[in-house]
Amino acid sequence: MRLPAVLFVAIMLMMFVLVGCSTPTPVARKFPEVPARILEKCPNLQKLNDDAKLSDVAKTVTANYSTYYECAVKNDAWIEWYQIQKHIFEEVK
Amino acid sequence: MWLLNFLPDWLFYATALIGVIGLVASKFISFIPFLNTYRLPVSIGSLLLLLISIWFIGGAANEEKWQARVKELEAKIAVAEQKSADENVKIQTKVINKIDVVKVRGQDIIQYVDREVTVYDTQCVIPKPFIEAHNRAAEAVK
Repeated sequence: MRLPAVLFVAIMLMMFVLVGCSTPTPVARKFPEVPARILEKCPNLQKLNDDAKLSDVAKTVTANYSTYYECAVKNDAWIEWYQIQKHIFEEVK
Repeated sequence: MWLLNFLPDWLFYATALIGVIGLVASKFISFIPFLNTYRLPVSIGSLLLLLISIWFIGGAANEEKWQARVKELEAKIAVAEQKSADENVKIQTKVINKIDVVKVRGQDIIQYVDREVTVYDTQCVIPKPFIEAHNRAAEAVK
């Protein structure tokens, strides 16, 4: 007859003690999405054929310079994206 | 405190009130002969009930404070996420416009080459070492 009473008191005491355990309420933050255009890899540069003419050289060099500047635009955009997103992230306190 | 999710806040205030009433009543029980024997258990029980109730009331108040803080933070995050998305659109637009400018300029130059440079193709022979040097420089780094 005593055991159920002791058991009941022990369970109540345990519940009382466990009540102090914290219930975490995490605030989830999503990592910001990156614009698709700046996720594209920079292409390789073009090469000359063995029988390339002067105009072919000029066209290939032009194409390669354009490739460089397109890549530079994407790189600058990455830097800008990072700085802006970092600033937005730090604003939330 | 997970127990606070199952029990209403008013219950703890009610049990605290019962504890106070019990404590006050225990002072007057001694004047009633047949209830005098219960004075000590009522007194101790009421005190325990009051203490436990105060503890839970404190816990509930703390929980409320933290939930309010969580809601405030979630609102700020929602604003930040919208700002993030807006900035992404601006950057994407800027990139598209600049790349278009680069492409158009490249096409203009190619047209110029076709018009003005091709006439010199027969006059200028490109030596093999030149082509070799160019292609080695253009080789991608592995």
